[in-house]
Amino acid sequence: MSATCRVRIDDHAIEVPAGTLVTDAARMAETHIPIFCSHQKLPPLGACRICVVEIGTPKRERDGKPVLGPDGEPVIAWMPKPQTACTTTVSDGMVVATRSPGAVKARQGVMEFLLVNHPLDCPVCDEGGECQLQDLAFAFGHDFSRMDEAKRTFVSEDLGPVVKKEANRCIVCMRCVRYCDEIMGDDALTAHQRGVHTEISSFDRQPLECEQCGNCIEVCPVGALTALPYRFKARPWDLRQHVTICPSCSNGCSVRLGVRGMEILRARGTEHRGVNQEYLCVHGRFGYEFVQSAERLSAPLVRAGGALAPASFDEAVALAATHLRAIAGAHGPGAIAFLGGETLNLEEQYLLQKLARAVLGTPHVDARTRFTAKVPGAALLRATGGGRPLVSFDEARGAREALVLFDDLQGESPFAQAVLIQGQHQRGLHLTVAHARRVKLARPKFGGDWLAVKPGGELALLHGLTRAALEAGGPEAPPPELAAARPALEASLAPWTAEAVERASGVSYAAIRAAAARLRSAQRKLVLFGRAVAEHPQAVALLQAIEHLGWVTGALTAERSFVMYLGPRNNSQGALDMGLTPDCLPGYVPVADAARRKPFEQQWGAALAPAPGMTAPEILAAAADGRVRALWIAGDDWLRSAPDRALAMRALETADLVIVSDLFLTETAKHAHVVFPASAFAEKEGVVVNCERRLQRSARALSPRRGSRPDWEIIQSVARALGAAWSYRTVEDVYREIARLTPGYQGTSYATLLPLGPQWSSPGAPAVAAALTPVAAPGAPAGRADGLSLLSGATLFLNDTVADRGTLLPKLAKAARAFLHPAEARSLGLGEGDRVELAGPGGRIELPVAIDDAVPEGSVFVPHAHPGVQLNRLGAPQGAGLRVAARRSGVAEKVGA
Amino acid sequence: MSAPVVSIESAAPPLEWPAARRAEVDDALSHYPLRRSAVLPILWIAQREWGWISPAALRLVARTLELPEPEVFGIATFYTMFNLKPIGRHHLQVCMTLSCSLMGADRLFSHLESKLGIGHGETTPDGRFTLRRVECLAACGGGPCLQAGLEYHEHLDEAKVDALLEKLK
Amino acid sequence: MSRGPLLFKDIDTPGLAALETYRAGGGYETLAEALGKRSPDECIEIVKASGLRGRGGAGFPTGLKWSFVPKQTTKPKYLVCNADESEPGTFKDRELMEKNPHLLIEGIILSAWAIQANTGYIYLRGEFDYIQRILDRAIADARTAGLIGANVLGTAFRFERYTHLGAGAYICGEETALLSSLEGYRGQPRLKPPFPAVEGLYACPTVVNNTETLMNVPHILKHGAAWYRQWGTEKSAGTKILSVSGRVKRPGNYEVPLGLPLSTLLDEHCGGMRDGLAIKAVIPGGSSVPPLPASMLSTGLDYESMNAAGTFLGSGGVIVIDDQTCLVDALWNITRFYEHESCGKCTPCREGTYWMSEVLERLEHGHGRESDIGLLEDVADNILGKSFCALGDAAAMPVQGFIQHFRAEFEYHVAHRRCMVNRRSAEIESRWGEAVRA
Repeated sequence: MSATCRVRIDDHAIEVPAGTLVTDAARMAETHIPIFCSHQKLPPLGACRICVVEIGTPKRERDGKPVLGPDGEPVIAWMPKPQTACTTTVSDGMVVATRSPGAVKARQGVMEFLLVNHPLDCPVCDEGGECQLQDLAFAFGHDFSRMDEAKRTFVSEDLGPVVKKEANRCIVCMRCVRYCDEIMGDDALTAHQRGVHTEISSFDRQPLECEQCGNCIEVCPVGALTALPYRFKARPWDLRQHVTICPSCSNGCSVRLGVRGMEILRARGTEHRGVNQEYLCVHGRFGYEFVQSAERLSAPLVRAGGALAPASFDEAVALAATHLRAIAGAHGPGAIAFLGGETLNLEEQYLLQKLARAVLGTPHVDARTRFTAKVPGAALLRATGGGRPLVSFDEARGAREALVLFDDLQGESPFAQAVLIQGQHQRGLHLTVAHARRVKLARPKFGGDWLAVKPGGELALLHGLTRAALEAGGPEAPPPELAAARPALEASLAPWTAEAVERASGVSYAAIRAAAARLRSAQRKLVLFGRAVAEHPQAVALLQAIEHLGWVTGALTAERSFVMYLGPRNNSQGALDMGLTPDCLPGYVPVADAARRKPFEQQWGAALAPAPGMTAPEILAAAADGRVRALWIAGDDWLRSAPDRALAMRALETADLVIVSDLFLTETAKHAHVVFPASAFAEKEGVVVNCERRLQRSARALSPRRGSRPDWEIIQSVARALGAAWSYRTVEDVYREIARLTPGYQGTSYATLLPLGPQWSSPGAPAVAAALTPVAAPGAPAGRADGLSLLSGATLFLNDTVADRGTLLPKLAKAARAFLHPAEARSLGLGEGDRVELAGPGGRIELPVAIDDAVPEGSVFVPHAHPGVQLNRLGAPQGAGLRVAARRSGVAEKVGA
Repeated sequence: MSAPVVSIESAAPPLEWPAARRAEVDDALSHYPLRRSAVLPILWIAQREWGWISPAALRLVARTLELPEPEVFGIATFYTMFNLKPIGRHHLQVCMTLSCSLMGADRLFSHLESKLGIGHGETTPDGRFTLRRVECLAACGGGPCLQAGLEYHEHLDEAKVDALLEKLK
Repeated sequence: MSRGPLLFKDIDTPGLAALETYRAGGGYETLAEALGKRSPDECIEIVKASGLRGRGGAGFPTGLKWSFVPKQTTKPKYLVCNADESEPGTFKDRELMEKNPHLLIEGIILSAWAIQANTGYIYLRGEFDYIQRILDRAIADARTAGLIGANVLGTAFRFERYTHLGAGAYICGEETALLSSLEGYRGQPRLKPPFPAVEGLYACPTVVNNTETLMNVPHILKHGAAWYRQWGTEKSAGTKILSVSGRVKRPGNYEVPLGLPLSTLLDEHCGGMRDGLAIKAVIPGGSSVPPLPASMLSTGLDYESMNAAGTFLGSGGVIVIDDQTCLVDALWNITRFYEHESCGKCTPCREGTYWMSEVLERLEHGHGRESDIGLLEDVADNILGKSFCALGDAAAMPVQGFIQHFRAEFEYHVAHRRCMVNRRSAEIESRWGEAVRA
C-alpha cells in the first residue's frame, strides 16, 4: 500500500496520506462535509450520519488492474448505500460525491431527522448564531417542516454551577460524553435511556462530579449544553472575539475571549487552533472574572503620612525614580532588588531586568519568589536538556511512557493532564505518577503505576530510578560523553542501595526498578516536573537528579522524548529566558561570561556586574535584615508567595522603598510606598512562553482598565525618569531588541508569533559530562520525626493566581480545609469538619478537617492557594520538607486572620 | 479524591452486598476477563436482592465493578428490565407486539387494567401488582401472553388470567 | 410423531434435557469423534460444504464466517451463541434450548473446536431467565462429565463457557451490539469493519452464531455435508425452523426443509386459518421484513425465493395476518416496536422510527392526511440504508412493504377515517367474558 492515495472529491483531485478519513481529505480539498458526532480528538463514531456521501472505487480486474471505460478513465464501482465520510478511510482511486442526488437526499434526510424533535427555539438559545445545527439547517435543510406531530420533550436541568442542559436541543452526538471520558478522564456524563428518549445527563441527574471544565459545553455542536455563567448574556454576533493566551498556568492555552464593550462575557477554546484547540480547564474558561473586578486598582497610590493615597501617574513615577536614585546613591545599587514578574509578558520581563541591571546597576533580580532554595536559573534549563528541542503537547500524546514527578497536574497543569489522559486512553500511553497523594492521574482507572513516595523522599526516589536505569544498562544509545562521566556517577550512587532508597523514599525498589525499566525501554518518553521540585528546599539536588535520570533513561536524548518543566505561572519560562534570575542574562547567558555579556553591555550602554546577584530567598533574608533597602515587586503578592511569611513581612516593613505593580491592592501592595496599577493580560499584548518553550503572542482584547498601564509602560516611565534613553513605542519594539540579543530567540519575528507559535531551542546546549556530577550519599536514617509532613500544592479550583479574585472558582473550591487520612484523623481524635491547629517553626494556622484517604498517613495536605489559608505563616520548609505539629483545636477562631 | 472538588455527600451510608449475595457477585465476576462485563449479571443480583435498583444500589454496583457511577446509570437505564423505581410484588408484563396483538393482547391488557384498577406502569395501592406493556417476549405462538416476574404465562384468556391473579398473592 | 427431520426429530423426547437421555440418543458422540479425528479446518470445510447459513436472520454462510477467524493469533478467541431471540414472531430458540440444551452445548463445543476458541458465551435475552437455569444445569452436568473444562473429553482442548443474561433490548440481537452488551457497555452496535471475526469480544477474534445455527452443527459433522444437503435447495441447504404465529389453527414451531412453499406450511402443518378467517398477508421472516400478500403464498421458504418475492426469510418468524386485521394498526404496532427498541445511536433510526410511529398512530386514529402515505414512504426511504445498523432497515422495510402491497387499505383509512375491517373479531371477544355478557 502506498503512503498516499489519490482521491477525487467532487471536482477536486487530491493526494492525501493513506489512512486519512474521507472527512479530513475533504477538508484538505476544501470541500465541506458537515459533521456532528465527529471530533478531532475523538475516534470516529459514525452515529449522526450527517456526513453521508456516495463513495466509489475503481472497478478492478482479477489481476488488480483497474477496468477502463471507453473514455480511458477507470470505471467506478459505486457502493450501493451512502457511506459515512467520518468513518471511511481513503483508498487509492476513490471517488467521493458529496453533491450527487443520492448524497444530497441522504443528507437532507438526516438533517430533517435531526430537527424532528428539536425545539427550533433558536431565538432563545445561547448557541444561536454559532450553532452547527442552525448553519447546516440553513445550508441543507428544507424551508418548511413535514413533521407536525407532537415532539418528545425533556425538562431542562442545571448540572452543577457551570453546565446548563436543554436536552430537547440535543442531537445525541455523544461528543460531550466521550470528551469527558477520553480527554478529561472524568466520566461525569452519560447517555441514559435509549432510542428517542436518550438523554445526556449525570448520575441520577445529580450535579456533575467533575473538573467543571465546561469542555462538554465547548464540544456540543448545538445548544444542548450551554454555560450558566454566560446564559442569556449576549448573542455571539455582538461579541468581539480576541485570541489571548491564558494567564493561569504554564501550559499556554489559547483563549478566545468574547468581549462586548469593556466586558469579557465568556472564554472559549478554538477548534484547530492553539496548543489546546477546543480544550480549556475551569480556570481558562471561567477564570477571567478578575479582569473586570470592581477591586481593580484604578490609580497609582503613594504613601503619604503613613497611608496610601491616590496620585497621578507622573507623580508616582517621579517619586519612585527619586527614591530609587537616592537609595542607589546612598547605599549602592546593590541595595535595590527586583522580585516577581513571572506573570508579565516577555517584553515586560526583559525590560524589568534591563531596568535593574542596566539603568540601576543592581544584579539582584529574581522572579522565583516561591523558591526556598538558591536555584541557579540555568539549573532548570539544564534539567530539561539545556535548550534541547522540546516535543509538542500534540506529539506527547503518542509517547509510550510518561513519568510525572511530584506535581498534581490537575491543579498545576490541567491541559498537560488532559494530554496524558488522552494519550493513555486513545494511544496506550503508560503513566507513572510519583506523588505522596493518590492524585487524579494516579487513580487505577488510568491504568498507570503510582509510586507513593514518602514526603521528603523525593530525592531518594530519583536516585533510585537513576540507579535502576543504570543497572538496566543506561540509555539505549548513550552519547559518548556519558560513558566518561558514568563511572563517577555510579560510584556516587553506590551508597544509595536498594534498601537505602526504599527506606528513604517509601517506595519498593521493585516498583522503582520497573518504572526505570519502562522509562528506559520506551521508544518515546516524557518526564514532567514542576513546582513541587522547583520550590523544594532540596531543589538544586532534585534538579540535578532529574538531569541524571534524563540522561540515563534517554529521556533527554531519545527522539520525540522530553523532560519538561511545568513552571508555576503562565510565563515562568519567559522569566527564565529573559534573565529574571540573578545568574543569567536573557538567553541564559551567564553574567560571569565577559565575552557573551558584551553584546548586552553594548546594546544597553552600561557595564554589567560580573558577579551573580542574590536569588529570591537571599533577597528575602537580605531585605529582612536591612541589607536590601529598596524592592520592586512586579505582579507578585510576595506576602503570599514568599516561603516564610513572617520574614517577608519583616522585609517589607524594614525596606525604605517598596514599589509594587499589580492589578489589585494585594496584602503586599498595602505595605508599598508606591503602587502602580497594572493592566491585565487581556488588556495588553505581548509574548508569553509556555512550558513547551513555545512563543505565543497574546492579543489585546480590550482597553486597559481606566487608570492602569501595562507593566512595560510603567517600567519604561521609571527608566526614563531615571535618565535612561528608552523610547519603545510598542511591545514589538521591545521584542525586536530581544530577538536581536537573545540566544535561541534570534530569527524570530514578533509579527509571526501567533498562538501555536514556534518552540525555541538552543543550539548551544550545555555539555553532558559536566551534568553528570556525582551525587551526595544518603544522610543517616532519621529517627521517628514528630508531627506531620506538610503537603501542599495547587488544587483544581484554586491555583494561587489572580483568577482566585473571581467569584466562580472560589465558590467551587469551597472553604479551605486540611486533608487528613482517616487513620491519622482518628489518631488525632479528629472528625470531618473538626478544627485542627497546625504549628510550624514560623507560626500556626487553623483549619477545618476533611477526611481523605488519598492523603498518606503521617502527613497533612493543605492546598496552598486558598485565599483563606496563609500557609507560609508556618515558616519556610527546610531540608526534606516542612513538618508541622497537629492538634485538635478547641477554639473556633477565624482562620488566617 | 485528591482535592476539594465539588462532591455530593449522600446522607445515607453506602449500601453493601448482603453476605449471601457476595458469592454470587464473585461468581459473576469470575466469568469474564474484564471486570465491567459483569455489569448485567450484577445488576440482576441487585434487582433480585432488593426488588428494584436504587441509586444507592447503582453506586454499589459501580463500586463493585470499578466503573464510574454515571456509566452504570447509563447502562442500567438502557435495558428495560431493570426497575429503577420500586415495583409491586408481582410484575405483570403483557406482550403487546404484533403476534400477541393479533391474538387479543389489547383485550388482555384492558382486562387487567379494569380488574386491577391500574394502568401501564402503575402499581396497585396494596403493592401487589405492577402492570406494564412490554414488547415481544418470544412467545408469539402462545399469544396472548405475559410474564409475571420472569415466569411465562401463555395462551391466556379471561379465566386463566383471573386464576393467575388469584394465585399471585 | 417426529416434528422434523433434524433439530426437532427427537425434540419431544421426555427428559431430553437430561445429559443421560441426550447421550442415550447418541449425543456427544460427534464431539468425541471430532476431537479425536477431525482437525478444526476439516470441521470448517464440512460446514462450508454443507451450505449451512446463519439462522438468526442474515443468512450468512456459517463455514465462511468461521474461516474469517485468523488462525495465527496470540489473542484468545471467543465463540458467542446469540440466544437473544428477540425478532417479533420468532420463538424457536426458546423451545430448542428449553427442550434440548445439550444439543446446543455440543454444537457450541464443536464450533469452538472448529475456530479454536477456548471460551464461549451464550447471550440470552433477559426474559429467558428459566432457560438460563436449564442451560446452567446442563453446563454443570457437561462439566462433571468432562465435556467442558481444561481437557474436553480427555483431550488437550480446553473449553469454558458461560451463560449471560441480557436485560431487555432487541438491539442486542445485532451481533456487535451483543458484544458491546456482553463487554458491559450500553448495548449499541459498533462500527464494522473491523468485523467480529477479526476484532470482536474484547477486541479478540469472535464468532457470533445463532442458537439454531449452532444446533445444526453436530448433525452436519455427524452425517456429513452431502447428507445435510438432502434437504433444502442448492443455495439454501438443510432445514429451517419456522415459528408460526397469528390466527392459524396450530401456531407453533415447525422444522421444514428449506424451499417448502409457504402455503404448504400454513395449510398442511398449521392446519390453515381458524374458522371464518382468511389470510390477508404473511410476514415470513419476523417483523423486520416486508409482508407477502395472500396472492404470493406459493413462494418457497428459502433465502432466494423470498428475496425474489421482495422479502426475506429472516429469522423464520412467520406472522399470519388475517382478513379481520387492520393493516394500518398492524404496521403501527410494528413501528412502535422499533421505536421502542431503537438504541438511539444514529439519527435516522432514532428520529425516524419515532416520526413514523407518530404518523401511523394519527392515521390509525382517523386523523390521516393524503400526504401521510407518501410521507411514510419517504421517511422510510430516508432511513433505509442510512442507519448505523440493520435496525433502521428493519423499521423501514415493513413500512414500505405494507404500503406497497396494501396501499388501498391505507388510502381507505385516510379517506374514511376508520379501519377497512373490524379489527376485533367475535372469537377474541368471546375469550374475554365482557363481550359475551354484553
